[in-house]
Amino acid sequence: MYLKELTELDGVSGDEGRVRDFIKEKIESKVDGVKVDVLGNLIAFKKGTKSNRKFLLAAHMDEVGFMVTNVEDDGTLSFAPVGGVDPRVVVGKHVRIKGEVPGVIGYKAIHLQKRNEILESPKYENLRINIGASSKDEATQKVEIGDYVSFATDFRCENSRATGKAFDDRAGCAVLMEIIERSERFEDDIYFAFLVQEETGLRGSAVLFEQLQPNLALVIEGTTAGDDPGLPEHQWATHLGDGPAITFMHRGYVVNKKIYESILQVAQKYDIKHQPKRRTAGGTDAARLAKTGGGVPAGVISVPARYIHSPLSVIDVDDFKNTVSLVGKILEEGEGFAR
Amino acid sequence: MLKCLSGVDGPSGYEDEALKLIEEKIKPYADVLKTSRLNTLIALKRGEGTKKLGIFAHVDELGFVVAKVEERGFIRLEPIGGVDPKVVLSQRIKIFTKQGVASGVVGFLPPHLQKEDQRGKVPSFDDIFVDVSCSSLGEHVSVGDICVIEGECAELGSKVSGKALDNRASCAALILAAQNLQAIKNRADVYFIFSSQEEIAGPGAVSVAYELGLDEAIVVDVTHANEKVPQFPQIKISEGPALAVGPVINREFYKALSDVAKRNGVKIQLEPTPGRSGTDTDEVQITGSGIKTALVSIPLMYMHTPVEVADPRDIEETARLIALASTM
Repeated sequence: MYLKELTELDGVSGDEGRVRDFIKEKIESKVDGVKVDVLGNLIAFKKGTKSNRKFLLAAHMDEVGFMVTNVEDDGTLSFAPVGGVDPRVVVGKHVRIKGEVPGVIGYKAIHLQKRNEILESPKYENLRINIGASSKDEATQKVEIGDYVSFATDFRCENSRATGKAFDDRAGCAVLMEIIERSERFEDDIYFAFLVQEETGLRGSAVLFEQLQPNLALVIEGTTAGDDPGLPEHQWATHLGDGPAITFMHRGYVVNKKIYESILQVAQKYDIKHQPKRRTAGGTDAARLAKTGGGVPAGVISVPARYIHSPLSVIDVDDFKNTVSLVGKILEEGEGFAR
Repeated sequence: MLKCLSGVDGPSGYEDEALKLIEEKIKPYADVLKTSRLNTLIALKRGEGTKKLGIFAHVDELGFVVAKVEERGFIRLEPIGGVDPKVVLSQRIKIFTKQGVASGVVGFLPPHLQKEDQRGKVPSFDDIFVDVSCSSLGEHVSVGDICVIEGECAELGSKVSGKALDNRASCAALILAAQNLQAIKNRADVYFIFSSQEEIAGPGAVSVAYELGLDEAIVVDVTHANEKVPQFPQIKISEGPALAVGPVINREFYKALSDVAKRNGVKIQLEPTPGRSGTDTDEVQITGSGIKTALVSIPLMYMHTPVEVADPRDIEETARLIALASTM
């Protein structure tokens, strides 16, 4: 399981290099070919025994985070979110700039806030990263405008639950890597795509069709759960521990019916715990794949995760393992899948 | 030392772990060590017996108590001291259960699932919840367990960031001062007092001030650095300790401290305090038949967050100043 290494690496959209290098090094010897395309997507290829279809498995490498937008005179850094990060989860956190420079995001002491400010959402324009520099000159020796910033969160696993950052979508990357670890060949040619820039508008997946012309695709995601006291029960999207979530529709795409039903059939056939995703909010690269070139019919299978797009999210390790099993069984079905 | 002191946990009323570490650190420099009934540690360094000088630093930090245990591995917290709910979201929480330390996660709904009316507002402690399903001791969490935000202490260039630097930075200054008194000869008998329950304006410091019958007291605490408060001078980090002036401070004692600082090249800042100071000084001054007080504050950024920032040089200068005070 590569979840620890993958989630502890920093790879905000546009800065996926560290994640890509790690994955490339681990998988290179286990596939028939690997390349990095113009946008930075990592594409690995495994030849099939029949090679009648091109089956694409996709997960995105990038995570939400920040970019340094200005170095202030007092040595602090202004920053803006890259992807959707709620400013309410940002205060009081340790961060890393370009994977190495430590910093913190503080906030005006509660003693100095007006009563009505205390329950007001912080605004990015008022937040700063402090790297211990006392002046602009001192700060620019270590960082510059445009540097990427990630939360500095360690990975832990206890009680068959894992906590850390970036399960969206390093969980998906980890699933693909587990499948690559398997030595057998499947009937279809398999393309494993580790994508860039999902969080900033499904951009990496836009250039896959032209390069691969896949016949069908599966997008593997870390998706919202919401099964917590923050939402009434009827609004929960997925439940931790109930298995991989199968999407029937999300923003911009109703999942190809044949693929959706075939996923369910495989799960039932092998008695793999699974659940439908009960909400249609949010989107995945499946929407982009369906819209590019001649269009690729794609399914979406996700590891449910609580509190995503924050420094600290939670997944159930059994859900992760069941996702690996389900995707593995789908590939074993060969040409019988989604026929 | 600062990183060690920040790393131990000791919310108000539960300061034992922190006190134990401080006792270890100050022991080599003290003639007598004792702990009061209200969990305050006193280290005496004898001088010539000219007077009794108490130097105070509170040991306690902010924390929480488990207020409710709900189904499916979720709990609710009540704060101990002035905790800003904004700094609690998406943090790891350490929960001291009877079976050991459980680790929880403060959950926050992702933007995808938020409703329009949930945006823009920060949940209060009524709505903040902790997920303990991810802890092997999660099932053992019960109402009344004490918690703290887990905060690592990190070096940021020449500065240090971590939790509880309010007021472990001052604890470090007292220990350093005690060490300095190995070289500088103190005239006053100096009592280094590591007190409990300041964050809830509790009884730690005053009870000891009364028992010891002090002539003078210096309270060492932290003050807001690099924040512009209208009408007030901006206290700056890395510019040395701030000396308070105002009704809770004895004028002559302040003047003497300020003079000794100047004579010895200790850089100080001035902090006008027109009313109460919000530190133990306020109560210590009116203890028994009255005590001459001074307040020395270490500049601290982002007070009461898990990422407070202090400059170790300010702490060293504070230590030098209070060691010099014992020679007056």
